[in-house]
Amino acid sequence: MLDRNSPLRPIAIVAALLVALPLLLPSLTLSSEVVVFAVGALSVSVLLQRVGLLSFGQGLFFGIGAYASGMLLAAAEISNAVASIGAVLVAVAISVGIGALIARRGGVYFVMLTFAFAQMGFFLMVAMAGITGGENGFADVPVAPLVAGGSATPGTFATYVYLAVLCLLAFAATCVMAASPFGSVQTAIRSNIHRAQALGYNIANFKAATFVFAAAVAALAGAMHTTLLGFVPPSVIEPETSQRLLIMAIIGGAGSPLGAFLGAAFYVVLSDALADVWPRWMMLIAGILIAVVLLAPGGLFGLLSNAFGRVRARG
Amino acid sequence: MSVQLLLIQIANGIGLGLLYFMLAAGLTIVFGLMGFVNLAHGAFYLVAAYATYAIAGFTGSMWWALALAPLVTAAIAIVGEQVLLARTYRLSHDTQILVTLAIAIVLQEAVILFFGPFALNVAPPEMLAGHIAIGMATYPVFRVAIVVVALACCLGMWALIDRTHFGALLRAGAEDHQMLGALGIDVNRLWTFAFALGALLAGLAGALAAPLRGLDPAMGHEALALAFVVVVLGGLGTLWGALIAALLIGLLQSIMSSLWPGGAYLMVYAAMVLVLLVRPRGLLGRG
Amino acid sequence: MASMNPILSAQGIQQRFGELTAVDDVSVDIRENSIHAVIGPNGAGKTTLFNILAGTQSPTAGKVVYAGRDVTSMPIHQRVKIGMSKSFQRTSLFADLTVLENVRLAVQAADGAEPYVFWRSTDPGGRLSGIAEELLGSVGLRALSGARVGEISHAAQRTLEIALALASKPKIIFLDEPLAGMSIDDIHRAKHLIRSLSERMTVVLIEHNMSVVLGISDTITVMARGRKIVEGPPEAIRSHPDVRQVYLGHAP
Repeated sequence: MLDRNSPLRPIAIVAALLVALPLLLPSLTLSSEVVVFAVGALSVSVLLQRVGLLSFGQGLFFGIGAYASGMLLAAAEISNAVASIGAVLVAVAISVGIGALIARRGGVYFVMLTFAFAQMGFFLMVAMAGITGGENGFADVPVAPLVAGGSATPGTFATYVYLAVLCLLAFAATCVMAASPFGSVQTAIRSNIHRAQALGYNIANFKAATFVFAAAVAALAGAMHTTLLGFVPPSVIEPETSQRLLIMAIIGGAGSPLGAFLGAAFYVVLSDALADVWPRWMMLIAGILIAVVLLAPGGLFGLLSNAFGRVRARG
Repeated sequence: MSVQLLLIQIANGIGLGLLYFMLAAGLTIVFGLMGFVNLAHGAFYLVAAYATYAIAGFTGSMWWALALAPLVTAAIAIVGEQVLLARTYRLSHDTQILVTLAIAIVLQEAVILFFGPFALNVAPPEMLAGHIAIGMATYPVFRVAIVVVALACCLGMWALIDRTHFGALLRAGAEDHQMLGALGIDVNRLWTFAFALGALLAGLAGALAAPLRGLDPAMGHEALALAFVVVVLGGLGTLWGALIAALLIGLLQSIMSSLWPGGAYLMVYAAMVLVLLVRPRGLLGRG
Repeated sequence: MASMNPILSAQGIQQRFGELTAVDDVSVDIRENSIHAVIGPNGAGKTTLFNILAGTQSPTAGKVVYAGRDVTSMPIHQRVKIGMSKSFQRTSLFADLTVLENVRLAVQAADGAEPYVFWRSTDPGGRLSGIAEELLGSVGLRALSGARVGEISHAAQRTLEIALALASKPKIIFLDEPLAGMSIDDIHRAKHLIRSLSERMTVVLIEHNMSVVLGISDTITVMARGRKIVEGPPEAIRSHPDVRQVYLGHAP
């Protein structure tokens, strides 16, 4: 698995990062936040890297995952893990419908439609304020064990381990998919979409299926978010969340799933350091986004792998 | 709902629809000529609205504000285009989209920086602030003014697209740099003009919208999403489609705001989904 | 040996682009296991007709019937499943992948539900790669299987185009200028390859190389200005006065 060309190598690296993270960052909560958004950014990265779709709407499924898991926890005495699974299933069902509608479209349409759907999700949440809590968020989330049979009041360390495991699973699933026959078709689509179609692959199906996978990942991140916070703030389904996840994925680098992890870590840590001191810190992010896009299109991952490559070449 | 209320909402809907059309047209022009979706379009609308507020406050005259705000917006757009976008023209469309996203964020943050995060109001020019009597009902003069300005704008655009060189290029969907260059066209200037024109339209819509619905930092995002809905509903690349779709959406939103205010926006999106199911290319879309 | 039954039948094909009529009321019958060439000067509409038959374009009017089914507007990926396959005029391959992977992808596409398997690695036993290697061997490219497509010669790429179209074991294959840009030796090899294909499938081709066309075709359809002007075996075409007019540009 550690072989440089193995498609499963990112899994080993993510595992190492997950172990190192609490040692590098000042608080477990901050580390947990990084982990949650790493999975969120991964959902953007998967769509972009595997089938070339730039989504401005992954926040919709992040929000659906967050609200669904919160409501499931409130409705029944289940563990966080079970609620997360339920939330993912809800998102999958919805994404099958939306995906059938929009994923077959390319570039521009997809950008516009994901943007519009993200906005619609927010309006839906506000319109159903009776159930969702509207601008106040959904606060009826009870404290629940992380997994069946676990402690009824999980501590911060247990929570981190739980979230880290889910994160690892999400990255592993992504890598396995990329290395599978399905993944080979995705690669073909990225290489030459007309040829892939001429060979007999139903491109629309593959785009739609990848869309559903990405929605599942985003919903998982949302459910993880609810586990971490213990309630569901309305920000999870605000259009800005879609934007945030996208920016993390781009800054981290869309060339590898690892980019999502790096981008999330960068964003969350920077936000933690700056947001209270300088409320308009997003301007810095915008500047970094431009710098990445124009000067370092491979993002943080690109920069780091170049640096490592040079070290290895010299050594 | 009484007939009178219905008629008022229809009138409102037409005015709103024409504003949406201006927004969508600006987006379509940039896309038609430059091939990417300008995510800063909503931010231009936002900036224009706040510029209207600022200029009105500074000069004491809404007339100056309404006249200057779109121009200020276009100027800002040109700066952004020259400094940033111009570096991306040989890169992928995704790159261009992301740069416009960054511009949008900077503009939105700047607005909050200077004006704060809360909603603001600005009054229409005094001469247009009253009501006119139509039969037994009264109707705000400013809304009528919006329709008049928007129609004049539509006429101007029609002339531009049908009668000018620029319009011919737009209609041809001219995107191929080399081909354009070979035809002796200064592509850079063409793109700057297209981008500025798009911003001008967004700016005009924003300036007119300011006295109508007030200002708040989220209005740019909302406007962009609505512009997308109009474009998708009407069919990408067709201005007639955008006009019809914009009017339909304006009417739908206005009428729904009397029946179910909380769900007015939702209905608009639901309409988009419905049309997509039945006619995936949009009402007038082709290709 | 060509049979008498038309496996593909196009009736009243019309293709208009605004004011321009590219294909004007053309009907063609293509017999099973024959080699059927479509020729004509530039602008004759043969590429348009070809694309309509192969399925990359939809006609303004007319019907295309294949093995008893109306396939006029059937999307490409579905056509592959019923035995139709097409190669591209401008080489369109997976440039950043190896020659073997290109063919393996083509073989995988025809392998039932395999493309949708997402839980295990690609081609674990090498089964698909094995079939791909065989296919490469049959067109003479096995030696290049590990090379990246971007690095192989133009003629090899053209041959790979054909290999990709063969991977789905088609019953009818459309070859769009397969010999374009090839040297004499390569043309010789390709000519034999195409002739050998007609033993197992029907071949429809567009080609400008007249000697090859006259040498291997069973039927030749000549087009000019969007219309079919002559159709018949090579002997009939070779000496037909209308054909010479069309190519030498005399007034109709």
